[in-house]
Amino acid sequence: MNLSPLELETLAEVFNVGVGQAARALSQLAGTTVQLNVPRIDVVSKLNVSTELINQGADRVCAVRQLFSGVLSTEAVLMFPVQQSLQLVQMMVGDDVPLEQLGEMEQEALAEIGNILLNAVVSGVADVFKLQFEGSLPYVELGPVKDVLCAQGELTDPVLSLQIDFAIDSLQIHGFLVFLLDLESVESLRTTVQHFLGVLA
Amino acid sequence: MNAPSQPCHCHPWSAWVLDHLQLGLLVLDAHDTIVFANHWLLTHANLTSDAVLGKPLLEVFPQIQDSAFERALALTVASGYPSLLSQTLHPAPLPIFLPTSQRGNDKLLRQSIRIIPASRQDSALMQQSYTLIQINDVTQPFMRERLLKAQAGRLKGLAEVDVLTELGNRRRLDEVLPQAMRSARKAAQPLSLVMFDVDYFKQFNDSYGHLAGDDCLRQVAQRLREVFRRPQDVVARYGGEEMVAVLPETHGQAARKLTQQVLHKVYALGIPHRGSAVADRVTVSAGVAVYEPGTELSPEDLLKAADQALYQAKSGGRNQVCGPM
Repeated sequence: MNLSPLELETLAEVFNVGVGQAARALSQLAGTTVQLNVPRIDVVSKLNVSTELINQGADRVCAVRQLFSGVLSTEAVLMFPVQQSLQLVQMMVGDDVPLEQLGEMEQEALAEIGNILLNAVVSGVADVFKLQFEGSLPYVELGPVKDVLCAQGELTDPVLSLQIDFAIDSLQIHGFLVFLLDLESVESLRTTVQHFLGVLA
Repeated sequence: MNAPSQPCHCHPWSAWVLDHLQLGLLVLDAHDTIVFANHWLLTHANLTSDAVLGKPLLEVFPQIQDSAFERALALTVASGYPSLLSQTLHPAPLPIFLPTSQRGNDKLLRQSIRIIPASRQDSALMQQSYTLIQINDVTQPFMRERLLKAQAGRLKGLAEVDVLTELGNRRRLDEVLPQAMRSARKAAQPLSLVMFDVDYFKQFNDSYGHLAGDDCLRQVAQRLREVFRRPQDVVARYGGEEMVAVLPETHGQAARKLTQQVLHKVYALGIPHRGSAVADRVTVSAGVAVYEPGTELSPEDLLKAADQALYQAKSGGRNQVCGPM
């Protein structure tokens, strides 16, 4: 089921291309330097991801979802602990007034931030692997992490999970980006990476 | 408008629907030339279809040059993934107005914009890569949220006021103190905290009654407000007859000086107090504690330190200031 360390390392490098583009776009939007870092990438079960988030005290998350379909189809879900999503919007808006709640307008701002990140990341991956995807518009969802991850499927389903750390000025925010995959898509991801490694060799 | 050359499966009512949608629609061809604009968009942009169709987007809307909108459009066309521009981050990217009869009094509409590129399949079918721009007027929800936020702010303010003295209450102190200490740490500035207590207040109440006691607290509170009057100072009623002043960017020495002024002012009020063992009138004792940035001190620690200084002032004979230790 799992990808080999070499395959994961390759994926991490490929993802970093898109993450770099996302950081540039978000910096432009924020008017200040936004640094993004991907300390970890792994194929795990949804349960692993939700346990990790809950252990960090984030049982409620704010998620931006987008569908990408092509040779392999996936739903990308970018999740933040609710409190951190508020801080993120506040930083991007450049507002001094602390937000108490994620209102309609803030949710839309978060959708835009997530959209920029997801589009850049998937574009980067698509470019390097020479894949083609169709994307959907972003959709924001608030709720317990298990509900967000299990809108469809089971907690035992695999996901490609990336931790994405944001650093904006003095603010540190930990986001989780997961790509929901079915078994077929995991296989096709592995084939893609192996093919890419073969071309390199 | 030049119709695409492929056979048209349009229903007779499609054009009618597009022109009655209560949102703006713009379609661009692969060269960013406008090939379609619906009635809503033309009306709200105050343009005729002749002024729009077949024209480059940037010629019709020159104000979007180098804007976030233009960047998002370019990225969308390049990546093929739809994108969103939120009202919160970009209030009004396009010059679209509320149609009003009063000239020169046009109101820019708050906009939520979606940029949707045609998929490869659809592009192949249409023999051209079109991009759809959808503009929603979100002025009303924006105003509604702003109103709700203002109301929430007012209610929050009310919930943090002590009804008797009109100083902040304990809730306000609990919210302000940690924030003030964080700011002090960030700005590398000291912060002083002063705790006040009316001397022999229980005896005052016993001698003159609770109404007189209330009035005494109001008068003391007023003296605190007079002395600690910078916008960043916060004065709150901490308990029964205890009051606290949070003084950002204030050294211990300055805090003691200001506190001494409060003591003089209260003494000068000359409120008779026959139950007091230290004077013939109402007096207060005070304890000062200082937070120096770089030291590890919690808000609770700081309150405790001020409380200890206050205890010292009381055991030292009252009507005096003690601390910082």
